[in-house]
Amino acid sequence: MAAPRMAGNRGPDDEMIDAVRQLLKAKFGDRKIQYGHVQFDIPTDAPDGRAVPAIMDIDLPITPDSYVSAYYLMVDHNPDICLGTYHLTAASGEGPIETRIKMRRTSYVRAIAEMNTGELWSAAVKVFVGLNGCG
Amino acid sequence: MPSTHHQIPADAPALTFAMPASPPTVGDAKILLPLSVARNAVIDVRALLVHPMDTGFFRDASGNPIPAYFVNAVTVMYGGEQVARFEWTSGISRDPFVRFPLRASREAPVQVVWKDNKGGVYQQSVDLKFA
Repeated sequence: MAAPRMAGNRGPDDEMIDAVRQLLKAKFGDRKIQYGHVQFDIPTDAPDGRAVPAIMDIDLPITPDSYVSAYYLMVDHNPDICLGTYHLTAASGEGPIETRIKMRRTSYVRAIAEMNTGELWSAAVKVFVGLNGCG
Repeated sequence: MPSTHHQIPADAPALTFAMPASPPTVGDAKILLPLSVARNAVIDVRALLVHPMDTGFFRDASGNPIPAYFVNAVTVMYGGEQVARFEWTSGISRDPFVRFPLRASREAPVQVVWKDNKGGVYQQSVDLKFA
């Protein structure tokens, strides 16, 4: 699936900064990260960057042999880019992960789901931030 | 003209709001399970911890930096078996909240353990019962 595009033909891949590229390279090596299947629910406008709710889910069937082993939550322009990693097991079952994150400024937020089979699915949403929540 | 709407019955109990006896302190934790859980259903578990989650970038009123103080590891145990593990940084909001799925395969306690970067360990557990 192609990367989602915004107006002006600029999408999450075009705006990816080098720090994010290096982090993805360090975490996943040369494995392909595809867009799709991740349902990422986060407000596009966050007046208060101190607490932005984020819900990650996947629309693939979850079975004991095929499940999400980890969700990675990344904010491009935060001091800590990968700010949360959620490791799940086959005992977890199918359902969303919800949390609240801090954001320093307007940037893409990426949710990456790693299946136990090694597939990587992701979604990226640009969140416009008012108040800096990171200091 | 007497209104027939929004009249409070005479025998209604007084509206009171339960205030905590003391302000929340670091380490107070809550786990919320659904009211009724069926066997083998996947349930949402909500866990909330009271913690400042300081990033280390802010300064206090007198200009001194506030050192980083945040939860960096969370483990979820279900009947003594680890079912989920979260790695956090200071990018998670103050009073960190998380909701995660869990397959209710048996009646067993659900325990969540939070560890912070200053060595603090906080834990809370609830008994999962089928109803």
